[in-house]
Amino acid sequence: MNGSTRAHRPDLDALQARFSLRVASGLSERSDALPHDISERLRVAREQAVARARQTRLAQPAAAQQLSVQSQGSLALGPSPSGWLRLASVLPLMLLVLGLVMIQHLHEQAEIRAAAEIDAALLADDLPPEAYGDPGFVAYLNQPEP
Amino acid sequence: MATDKELSDFLRSAEKRAFKRTAYAVRDDDAALDIVQDAMIRLAEKYADRPMAELPLIFGRILSNATMDWFRRQKVRHAAVQNFSDLESAGGDGDFDLLETLEAVDGSWAVQGPADQLSREQTLALIDAEVAALPARQREAFLLRYWEELDTAETAQIMGCSEGSVKTHCSRAVHALAKSLASKGLKP
Repeated sequence: MNGSTRAHRPDLDALQARFSLRVASGLSERSDALPHDISERLRVAREQAVARARQTRLAQPAAAQQLSVQSQGSLALGPSPSGWLRLASVLPLMLLVLGLVMIQHLHEQAEIRAAAEIDAALLADDLPPEAYGDPGFVAYLNQPEP
Repeated sequence: MATDKELSDFLRSAEKRAFKRTAYAVRDDDAALDIVQDAMIRLAEKYADRPMAELPLIFGRILSNATMDWFRRQKVRHAAVQNFSDLESAGGDGDFDLLETLEAVDGSWAVQGPADQLSREQTLALIDAEVAALPARQREAFLLRYWEELDTAETAQIMGCSEGSVKTHCSRAVHALAKSLASKGLKP
């Protein structure tokens, strides 16, 4: 029985394929006669899809051009909405760094001013600065006042 | 890249089959039209830059996914899964002889006895009904292989199963169709 089945197998496959194609042909013939309203809705859907594909194709070069202009640093077209958002998120960080640099600068200026005042006071005093290097004078200064 | 005309021609050639395949699955013409439209838009938006040769496979996959999305949205996934599982057994046909039936059907789509009166349209309606009555996975495999004329590997890719499963589904679909059409008098 198995041998018989094997012998019939090529015939069976060919017949199955032929039968299937006939069924498919029947389905095609029937679907060609779809009701008018369905055919129309399919036509409208197809046209909308093609229009959407056209829009997508047109939008891609425009977006690429805008990106290119931005990357070259030109502001001719201005930043896109996403560019503004990026800028807004980076701005506080930039302000913080600027503030720290300013504080550092002011601190250095204050130190320089204080040193200059000391130098000026020493130079303007009647006592010569070398006196502070004399051990006897230092001992005199350390004496408690009467 | 497919031009507007190529895309339009492809969609025109595929839209009716896509609609029928979807309508078989969801059994609702309006829903099927919405799904096909959704699939067309997705294809146009995301894959219009692909070569023409790739569009049939991509569109088939998008359509299958859109159909599954519809089932999920309808919250009838359980029913869908039950439909999609192939519950038919291949060996429960008693004395039905597939080879004999196919040989008989192969001659023509002529009909016997009282069915001689059937018009061509009635015959086509009968085929349509019997295809619609197939289990979903069998029908999907059969339609993709023989109506969309995809090969086994492409059909397996769209259905998300192995090539062996596609062959099994197709074989069972042919078996069921031959049997049901023969029982309705559609044989010489």
